[in-house]
Amino acid sequence: MNFWRRKKCEEELEAEVQSHLQMAAREGVDRGAEPREAEQAARREFGNVGLVKEFTRDVWGGRWLGDITVDARYGIRMLLKNPGFAIVAILSLALGISATTAMFSVIYGVMVNPYPYANSDRMVHLVANDAHGNRRFFINLTGPQLQQLRQATSVESSAAMDEWALTTTEGDLPENVEAVYLTSNAFVHFGVPTLLGRGLLPSDAPEGQDPENVAVLGYQFWQRHYGGDPDIVGKNIQLVHKSYLIVGVVRPRFTWGDGEVYLPLKLTADPVRTYFPMIRLKPGVTRAVVNAEFQSLVEQFAKETPTHFPEHFRVAVEGLNDHFVTDIGGTLSLLLGAVALLLLIGCGNVSILLLARGTARQHELAVRSAIGAEGSRLVRQLLTEALMLSFTGALLGVALANSLVKLIVNWLPQFSFPHEATISINLPVLLFSVGLALLTGIVFGISPALQSARPDVAQVMQANTRKITAGVHGRRTHTILIAGQIALTLLLLAGAGVAMRGFVRMMNVNLGYDPHNVMSVGIPVHDNTYTTWEARRAYFHQLLQKVGAMPDVVSAGISTNATPPNNGWQQRFEISGKPMAEQQLGRFNVISPEYFAVLRVPLLQGRIWDESEVMRGAKLALINQTLARQYFPNGDAVGSEIRVPGLKGEPPFNLAVAGSDGWFQVIGIVGDARDDGMRNPIKPSVFVPYTIMMPQYTQILVRTNVPPLTILRAVREQIRSVDPDQQAARNVRDLDGWITTQPEWEQGHLVASLFAGFAILALALAATGLYSVISYAVGQRTGEFGIRMALGAGRRDVLLMVFRSAAISVGGGVLTGVVLTITLNRVLARWIQDSSLDALVLAGVILLMVATASLSCFIPARRASSIDPVVALRYE
Amino acid sequence: MGEKSERYQNRIEILQGTLDLLILQTLQWGSRHGYGISVAIRNRSGELLQVDTGSLYPALHRLENQKWIKAEWRISENKQRAKYYRLTATGKKQLTRERSKWSQLSDAIAGVLQPEE
Repeated sequence: MNFWRRKKCEEELEAEVQSHLQMAAREGVDRGAEPREAEQAARREFGNVGLVKEFTRDVWGGRWLGDITVDARYGIRMLLKNPGFAIVAILSLALGISATTAMFSVIYGVMVNPYPYANSDRMVHLVANDAHGNRRFFINLTGPQLQQLRQATSVESSAAMDEWALTTTEGDLPENVEAVYLTSNAFVHFGVPTLLGRGLLPSDAPEGQDPENVAVLGYQFWQRHYGGDPDIVGKNIQLVHKSYLIVGVVRPRFTWGDGEVYLPLKLTADPVRTYFPMIRLKPGVTRAVVNAEFQSLVEQFAKETPTHFPEHFRVAVEGLNDHFVTDIGGTLSLLLGAVALLLLIGCGNVSILLLARGTARQHELAVRSAIGAEGSRLVRQLLTEALMLSFTGALLGVALANSLVKLIVNWLPQFSFPHEATISINLPVLLFSVGLALLTGIVFGISPALQSARPDVAQVMQANTRKITAGVHGRRTHTILIAGQIALTLLLLAGAGVAMRGFVRMMNVNLGYDPHNVMSVGIPVHDNTYTTWEARRAYFHQLLQKVGAMPDVVSAGISTNATPPNNGWQQRFEISGKPMAEQQLGRFNVISPEYFAVLRVPLLQGRIWDESEVMRGAKLALINQTLARQYFPNGDAVGSEIRVPGLKGEPPFNLAVAGSDGWFQVIGIVGDARDDGMRNPIKPSVFVPYTIMMPQYTQILVRTNVPPLTILRAVREQIRSVDPDQQAARNVRDLDGWITTQPEWEQGHLVASLFAGFAILALALAATGLYSVISYAVGQRTGEFGIRMALGAGRRDVLLMVFRSAAISVGGGVLTGVVLTITLNRVLARWIQDSSLDALVLAGVILLMVATASLSCFIPARRASSIDPVVALRYE
Repeated sequence: MGEKSERYQNRIEILQGTLDLLILQTLQWGSRHGYGISVAIRNRSGELLQVDTGSLYPALHRLENQKWIKAEWRISENKQRAKYYRLTATGKKQLTRERSKWSQLSDAIAGVLQPEE
């Protein structure tokens, strides 16, 4: 009988009884009685209304449903009577469930097919690796090479892209717009329909003509710049004084190249101009076959355009998600392991609480059994209570999971996951966690009931025996559960300790430069502007002069490609008169002389260029200390000659001084500063004047005497005063900001903070678990302590007795945890970079664990030791 | 139901097992509500048989479950809403069975009680 039908029956029964009473009363009145008397008489005659109803209800059957309501009501009363227990149990479950679900959802979103593109599993990038399989760079190809690539047997379809920063010239200051140029077949290649209007079509870039001025907007740009205007298609957008017809808006998940506008790309046959190929492989072709085919193809390309390729390389295709998986996959899996531990600890906590409480309720159960409750009925009662706890915990967990996912997504390193990914709660995992929670509730909730389903009523009812000695029964289960919990918590704490230590070490690394109050303003130069060496040199010089003369600016310098902590172009270099090593690679930086002053990098030896040397592009180089130490151990670096053979101009894009790939004289040595990120050792660096090589992009480093970003607007106005169309790149940051956006910093930050958070939660859970068990044990032994104290035991003795009872589980747990930690250390070390478990971390973690455990024991132990023996013995 | 049904049957002042028969018999002359049934039994027994409501209503609901009687809400002669029970076709058959069982039983008891000659 379902609930609603039952409710209706209940109402009908009530109506039936009422009509009976009324009719009886009416008849009494008809016989001449007072209405009130008649009514009372009718009631008297009818008997106990509640009882009559109860008997009638019995006939309906399905009594269990009513019982469940009763059980639930009773359960709520019991839980409210003991809110601490309920809150701890519910929170334990909620935290475990939400953390596990959130973490897994993030992993799933990032790692498992995050792309909206058609057959994205067959879409690949073309990369050149070195002999060791380390990725060197993405291969870019010229127009004719792309045509050849399209003919390759393993290729199903291919398109090409290029990207550049444009500006909208509508506002008061030029605004940066990231443009992605796509060949006109690209939208077919991606296979994603647009949100509004259409994508780019072959007719947008007809053969042998310039492409049409049409634009497809990125979703975010459309939202930000146009407020999501639904009638945007058909309007125009001004980009660097050129009017483009807006023909469509892409869907939110289409974020290829993080483009703000997508414009048609026309491939040219210019051997200098290269494009980024996008490839979809034919189904069923193995990577080995593909790589072999592309290897011979690209080797042939390398003969045509040798400057685009290193001397030795291995071609490989890389799935869209491959590098995200290698970058952050391990980290995320590690965190998932951590939250799985948290879920286990949470479930462990609930089982401990339920067991402790169940045993404490033996007496109650025995009484109920003695007055006639069936065993199955008791099981049902306890089950209802346990399930109520689990369900509440699960519900809260689901709610928490949602906000936790958002938190983690905000903390994910910005470029460590594909922006196409939609990270949302993963239903199967949510169900799994909730199921685990419910199962814990069921198993541990009813186990005390099963023990007392056939209780030795007489024994349990003898109240005094209960209080004097607690049975050994159940104690072993508690010991094991507590020890397990402590072991897992210790493992988590150790992991967190290692991660935090690694992160702190990275934060404290000696940078070699002073990042405070310096910002880097990126300046993307527009196509077809300042296309001669002289013009671009004059332009950069003028920009630097303008910014350097601003009132709050202490100093400013050009750092085209040299903003630390990860700077310079990786290039092979030669030293005059020395045999070249196979892997003689260094960082090649083009800068202005003020660079060292702005960053406070000391000059150790020799001198820096003067103004005239910079303006004529003198072939004079400075090197860093690492290079000097590595290649000139005799201290004869200054005066030697150094050459970077790959350093060739490619006008009109990269403008180099004549003979830029020739020999440079070393005139000075500067101090070491981080040039390969926060974690890697400093690489050999070569510095040359910015006039040696000017790409279509530069940066100005600005040291200020106020927080630098506060004068950014003024800087942008100065830049505009030189060229009214010149914008600053988006996301200008100060150099502290550059450090915090390094992938290793973001990753370290993510791991350290999440790990620490999870470990603290685990510690709190384990502490409450231990506290509950000790409290319960103390409660059970009240009588025993009373007798002992009456016989002369001191407070100290009682205190020690309590501690001793916990010592086995805590000691065993800590020991197991240490063994686990050391065993798993190798796994940790692989995933938390820059970390190794040292004695200090381990000692600290053990200390923290033991201290927390002692505190959890101390509170109930104190309570036990302050028992008044008289009260304790009378208690009951 | 075993144990539970014993509980209310213990409360029956009418001879055990006969309440169903009395109810079915009462309904043979037309549909009645619960109160009407108890009044009818009382009257027809010359005020001798008092039906306990704690037995009557469970019995009514049980008979309804067995589809021997059927309930419907109607307006009584006193313009009151009341739940009326009427005999169904299977209920009539059941009545016949119960009656013959009863007459056998009463004959048997009468035989036993007859003074020996």
